Amino acid sequence: MTPPVILITGASGGVGRGIAHACGTSGWTVWIAARRRLEGEQVASEVTAAGGEGHFVICDASDADDVERAVQEVVATSGRLDGVVLNATSGSSPKPVVFIDVAMADVEDHVAVSLRGMHHLVRSTHEHLRATQGSMVVLTSEAGFEGKAKLSVYAAIKAAQRGIVRSLAREWGPEGIRINCVAPLASTPAMERAFEMDPAMAARVLGRNPLGRMGDPATDVGPIVRFLLSSDARYLTGNTLMADGGSCPIS
Amino acid sequence: MFASDLEGLTMLAESLGADLVITPQCPVANDDPSGVADAWSTASTSALDSWRARAASGASASSVIVAVWPNEHAALPLAEMSSGEFARRLEWPFAAWYAALGAASSRCADGGAIVAVIERPPPLDAAGWATESGLADAVEAMVRSLARSEGHRGVRVNAVTTPTRVAPSDPIAPLPSLSTFPGRLDGEVSDAVTMLIGPGISGITGTVVHADCGRSWR
Repeated sequence: MTPPVILITGASGGVGRGIAHACGTSGWTVWIAARRRLEGEQVASEVTAAGGEGHFVICDASDADDVERAVQEVVATSGRLDGVVLNATSGSSPKPVVFIDVAMADVEDHVAVSLRGMHHLVRSTHEHLRATQGSMVVLTSEAGFEGKAKLSVYAAIKAAQRGIVRSLAREWGPEGIRINCVAPLASTPAMERAFEMDPAMAARVLGRNPLGRMGDPATDVGPIVRFLLSSDARYLTGNTLMADGGSCPIS
Repeated sequence: MFASDLEGLTMLAESLGADLVITPQCPVANDDPSGVADAWSTASTSALDSWRARAASGASASSVIVAVWPNEHAALPLAEMSSGEFARRLEWPFAAWYAALGAASSRCADGGAIVAVIERPPPLDAAGWATESGLADAVEAMVRSLARSEGHRGVRVNAVTTPTRVAPSDPIAPLPSLSTFPGRLDGEVSDAVTMLIGPGISGITGTVVHADCGRSWR
């Protein structure tokens, strides 16, 4: 069986890098799509070193032309596209702001990367995923279920992605395309920045986690995303898997 | 009540006996296939900020209802949707909801109640309504965030959802539990809002009530 070809956005670090590693260890062809060339090429090298075939393509997830060009490069080089992971998120995500103080101009960066970027990715990959009966995974967050007093824009954006996925599962199912979400809790540079900005956050986050630790992007979260992209999950669509050590009180 | 300038929402305000404050109109033209620049121009975001500041400065109220609905659209697969339509149906309403709920939190008196009335396609009927499903879930999260941040002053924040404009004429089986599906704004929805702003539910906040005649289970 030919190893899958997948594309991961925002994979130059953090959870995206962990997913790339997990898929690389299974021998998959992994395309790292990110704005940061140096870091992205490094992750692609790590994928190859892990036993997969790593590639990098520069991509601003909020730019329709950029996303289309990146997808075309993947298909032109690797011949097909079996899976897509929407992982890119706004750099403003961990910045705490009180609801009433959020400036509308600041909302746009969240919307541009995570919602408009999702729309771009859906439009650019739809035909390719239909051709391979492929799968998409969207990285959402427990914040989208619960809301957050100081990260309310991020929470709303992540919730919106789940709502879109709910509809897309019904639109794409008859075409043989699956789409799911994963809500991870993992040690990442973004999470570390959030802890720095809100020192009490670490105690809050870990205090309710029955497994008592932060997840590892490569060994805790990556395998779950890999499962959803694989044929083992061929009967699973429209779902959200909580890869959070039981932290979110949703069961 | 902060609401879009739509006939159904005016009827809802009347049935609730609420003073109506109209929220800003979407700046993206209906026939604009791009539209993103209009939605997020400095003029557009400044207008929303200014509207919120004005709306927030009025007299306080014991309950505030919010309903920011885009103009009516038809079902359309997301992969076939233009950037302009995506901006009209999801991007700009997302920001407008944010402004209106922010104003509502300022106007709501300590111990009061805020209720968001959300247009939400039931999951079984969600195909073609990705932007509406996304907006509905986003607003539900906004409601929960606001419930957390305003709870310290006794303000409860909840939501009512309705599929009145997005319900299919021929629903997928099983049929909705009540034959009155999808319900009416000045009927089932008004009743649910009245319940959430009324007495006897002082411990209820951050919840979502689906006033859709039994079409959604959670």
